[in-house]
Amino acid sequence: MLKEFLSSLLHYFVNITTAVLLVTAIYLTISGQQMDSVILWEILLSGFITALPSALLVCLDVKSGRILLLLWLAHFLLIFFLTLWMVDFFGWYKITALSALLTFLGVVFIYLFTCIVHYIVDMKHAALMNQQLKRRYHEK
Amino acid sequence: MKIIIEPPRSDEEDDVIIVRCASPDQRLISMLLAFQNANTELTGYLNDKIVPLNYHDIYYFEANENRVFAYYSSDVYEIKHKLYELEARFVPFDFIRCSKSMIVNMEKIEYLSPLFSGKMEAHLKNGESIVISRQYVHQIKAKLGIGEVE
Repeated sequence: MLKEFLSSLLHYFVNITTAVLLVTAIYLTISGQQMDSVILWEILLSGFITALPSALLVCLDVKSGRILLLLWLAHFLLIFFLTLWMVDFFGWYKITALSALLTFLGVVFIYLFTCIVHYIVDMKHAALMNQQLKRRYHEK
Repeated sequence: MKIIIEPPRSDEEDDVIIVRCASPDQRLISMLLAFQNANTELTGYLNDKIVPLNYHDIYYFEANENRVFAYYSSDVYEIKHKLYELEARFVPFDFIRCSKSMIVNMEKIEYLSPLFSGKMEAHLKNGESIVISRQYVHQIKAKLGIGEVE
């Protein structure tokens, strides 16, 4: 269980941090804003903080699809509010209605990016497993 | 090593396993003895009927509210065994734990597809689908002879 959690944590940390770096690069390019090098550490820390609930969620063995959907929704909201809190805590920018909306869009992008990356990896695993299943049981 | 499976000769009543090798491998002998001595007899209960079950025809076992059921293509039989007992008995026969409450017959899996959050869905040959929990995906990979493919 712990190994499972640490492995998921590492995956989510790498994926989220990559996505946050992408969003930050786009934001800094468009706004022309300059930031200190400390932003890199803050991005790494924010990647770790948001990866924690994500890794915890995937380790839960929930059977009901409805409960799982509710948990993912709660997870998304948690990530969004955590991000808003980090924006305020690190003083990345002032929170206004517009910046909150842009943060929301940023979280949606990071969320989709992470989900798609995980899904592609899982598809690769499933293809390999199907190949072995076919070889072992269907070609008898 | 070659594995050849062929139909029995006309004068052979039972199935015969012949091993041709330079020196017998202890693992192979242990495996054959385990196969020969394995207890695969199961009794299923359906309403008032008591039915001997053939493990080849079982798609999966499921534990539900302290009762254990064996799922055939369309029928469901209650089994008077614990899930962990069935796991110990049938894992050598391509059955594998796929969640806390289920053991699936891998021979009955048509194909697998990914679900979000690391789970997988096993689409069975009878059209049913069951969910493989994230923590058991690794065991199924190992059973299929697949290492880590990160």
